[in-house]
Amino acid sequence: MDRETAATALALVALVAVFVALEPIIPTNQAGFSELGILGPNMIIGGYPTSITQGGVVKLYCYVGNHEGAVAYYQVLVKLGNGATQVSNTTSANAPEIRSYSFVLADNRSSTFPVTLTMNATGTNLRLIFELWAYNVSTSEFSYAGLWDQLIINVTGGP
Amino acid sequence: MPLRPRWTGVLALTAIVWLITLGCGAAQAATNAEFSTTTNAIGSAFVAAHNAGQDGGNVSELVATLNVALNLLQRAQAENATNPAQAAADLQNATSMAAGVTAASASAAQAGNAARQVTVETSIGGASAIVIAAVLIYLLGDRIFRRLWIFVYRNFVVRPSG
Repeated sequence: MDRETAATALALVALVAVFVALEPIIPTNQAGFSELGILGPNMIIGGYPTSITQGGVVKLYCYVGNHEGAVAYYQVLVKLGNGATQVSNTTSANAPEIRSYSFVLADNRSSTFPVTLTMNATGTNLRLIFELWAYNVSTSEFSYAGLWDQLIINVTGGP
Repeated sequence: MPLRPRWTGVLALTAIVWLITLGCGAAQAATNAEFSTTTNAIGSAFVAAHNAGQDGGNVSELVATLNVALNLLQRAQAENATNPAQAAADLQNATSMAAGVTAASASAAQAGNAARQVTVETSIGGASAIVIAAVLIYLLGDRIFRRLWIFVYRNFVVRPSG
């Protein structure tokens, strides 16, 4: 190996070693994100109830994941809407809230918790809308995180 | 010694008054202001824990405590109509826990900052050492290698192959 090749190899090895040494303090610029999912009564994606009698109980599970790069304070709001209810990634549903769940999640952690809802209203194609809200540390208020899921269900009158 | 009828009556009256007082206290449901106080305390505690986490502090215990406080708050909301005394106690516990988290966040942030400082110093020190070592190897590597070679083979005798 001639002197120039050796010097180049040495420089490359030194460069990689310096990068490895500085890696813990190099700021990452990854955009954080959250996750929201609704699972059926068996804690899987599927087996969702489609029809229930008035006063009956809907049992589901809700999954929330935090990859925001910081601890997060979440609120899952369950709203009861219908076909006319507007909801999007920017606008939360303008529908009555029937249940809420609040919890704090550390970064890169997830939580799956049971959701038990008693259906008192009747109707066809009712929409159980699940929205994820997150606590904004700047404003000290919850703001809509832009994540939502829905379950369409028919609630019939009792016997 | 058996109690006299007069003292028995006084004791019974005292017990009745005490029970009535307790009953009146228990009948008062927690107010919206009390719920707001707890909610705000938990919000402030979360902000403190969040900032401690951003400073590199270990916030896992703070998160666990905050979730216990939130469970107490939600339980208080559910039981306020049926068991207001328990709801009030739960709210008080939740507020205390939130205050504890706020207080503990300061030390967590301090520990995080100290750990981060050590990481920065270690990284920069390591990188500097690598650069210095590379320069020394480039400048003195040949000479050191030759000296080492001579040192290792100093006792060897070179004989003509013929």
